[in-house]
Amino acid sequence: MNLNAAFIYQNINYVGSSFLFVIGLYTVLTHPNLIKKIIGINIMETSVFLFFVSIGFIQGGQAPILNLEGKPVLYVNPLPSALILTGIVVAVSITVYALSMIVKIYEAYGTIELDEIMKLRSEEANE
Amino acid sequence: MSNIHMPVYLLVVLLGTALVIPLMAKMTNRIVNIFLTYAIMIAAILSVFTLVNVLLNGAFTYHFGLWHPSYGIEFVVDEFSAAMTVLVTVMSALVIIYSFKDVEHELEGHVIPGYYTLIFLMLFSMVGMTLTNDLFNMYVFMEILSLTSCGIVSIKRKRENLMASLKYLMLGAIGSISILLGIAFLYMVTGSLNMTISYDLIQNAWSIYPRNILVALGFILTGFGIKAAVFPLHTWLPDAHSTAPTPSSALLSGLVVKIYIFGAIKILFRVIGINIISEVGIPLFITYFAIIGMIMGSVFAIGQKDIKRILAYSSVAQIGYIILGIGLATESGLSVSLFHVVTHALMKSALFLSAGAVIYQTGKRNVNELNGIGYQMPVTMTVFSVGALGMIGIPGINGFMSKWYLSFAVLEAGRPLILLVILLSSFLNAIYYLPIIINAFLRESKDRENILERDQVPKSMLIPMGIIAGLCILFGFFPQLIMGVIERAVLTFFNI
Repeated sequence: MNLNAAFIYQNINYVGSSFLFVIGLYTVLTHPNLIKKIIGINIMETSVFLFFVSIGFIQGGQAPILNLEGKPVLYVNPLPSALILTGIVVAVSITVYALSMIVKIYEAYGTIELDEIMKLRSEEANE
Repeated sequence: MSNIHMPVYLLVVLLGTALVIPLMAKMTNRIVNIFLTYAIMIAAILSVFTLVNVLLNGAFTYHFGLWHPSYGIEFVVDEFSAAMTVLVTVMSALVIIYSFKDVEHELEGHVIPGYYTLIFLMLFSMVGMTLTNDLFNMYVFMEILSLTSCGIVSIKRKRENLMASLKYLMLGAIGSISILLGIAFLYMVTGSLNMTISYDLIQNAWSIYPRNILVALGFILTGFGIKAAVFPLHTWLPDAHSTAPTPSSALLSGLVVKIYIFGAIKILFRVIGINIISEVGIPLFITYFAIIGMIMGSVFAIGQKDIKRILAYSSVAQIGYIILGIGLATESGLSVSLFHVVTHALMKSALFLSAGAVIYQTGKRNVNELNGIGYQMPVTMTVFSVGALGMIGIPGINGFMSKWYLSFAVLEAGRPLILLVILLSSFLNAIYYLPIIINAFLRESKDRENILERDQVPKSMLIPMGIIAGLCILFGFFPQLIMGVIERAVLTFFNI
């Protein structure tokens, strides 16, 4: 595999999605703020969606709408886009649920910083 | 009496019940409970009929909307999926009947309809994930499953529950994202989401695109590893399973975790195929994690005080056994791992339900406060003892049989050193389970005399517990009852 500039340019969506995946994972793992963690998960999800949609894309392909003129037309694969529509719905529901949970956590602990919550919890456990 | 549509009717019954429950919020608990009992009974009967049909007439596939499997969604109803569907519905029927009284005690009145909605949606997605033969469909069912199980953990609205549920949700989300990415890598190679078609294509594509398939395997196994709480990725499990309402702890620990293992088995054996995974050395890799999990899960459990946390950590160790069976990658290894899925579902439900009954009657969760509880609640603690002795591996209880089969499978695979790990893990189990039994039956409690009395727990809780303990002993003496079905189920993974 030769990693020259043209190769990277041709596969820019794959490169982009892998960068986004790593950025998202880094955000989830390192940030103590719960909302930032949710943002990280969203970035990861978006990167996978980008990746999935890129699989179906063909250079110069058209949207797969029924062609009545009879000319042979190159279509892009519609299945990944359709699947990702479902994926987006799933991602939204996870985000909504997580955010509502964070509201409850804020009411219960008075903070959304994970390290402060952990400190509160260990104080409770030691009493 | 059998019909090709039965698996779909089963899904419709579960989904329909989930949708109807919120509409019944105004009715009395009694009517709702009777309705739920009928619904889950119908589901259990449908699944049993499906299994009987499959065992008599052979496996069949179901195409939704008669779409060709390469475009549409396909269900494969074979010995494996039918048998595991029966496990899911029958176990959950027992647990749901138990939960009627316990949930009234444990949850606030206005969240109870929501709780049952979540339980039925969870059952729906578990059954769907077992039956489906489509990768993306599996992902969707998996997301429903992880969202509903997080919802069940957080339904108690306590501080610990919220944190446990959020942790579960985050790790679960990371897991499902990596599974989706793995599916995308596989789709790049095959262009099809159907497992059977993918299998054929991957056998040819392995020599051309080995990198894609390897990366896909890595992501998918990591994702399922997080969701099935394989040892180093188990951190969410003790919190989530110990804080959830007790009946649903039994479901989460006994069934939900196993469903993700089924997903992993399907990917490994039905999509990638035994030849490729053995060539890459994945079974050996899995075995290491299994061995570490079997020992470390028990070691962590020894340090716990809370009875439900002990049971949750014990689940981590028991998942190690199941994964070990998969890691042997032989027919006997896989059948022992499925056998242990059934065994562990029974034993862990018995343990969680009896622990729940103790909490229901006395409110005590700390194991050191349980001295003499065996005189106060003889039936409950007998059930607990059956489950605990089964976990240790005392002959006569099904836990022994799964260790027995596992030892044979290990010897057959030519790795006798793993026997030592199984023995060590059994001793570690004994270290934390035996003191509970000894304290319960042989120690005197401080505040009351040791006079034998009847359990003060409602009959609707005692009877399901008794049935589960009875099944544990029955399968301990007659393991062939399940092993016969499982041996046929395992063949579906090796003779594609």
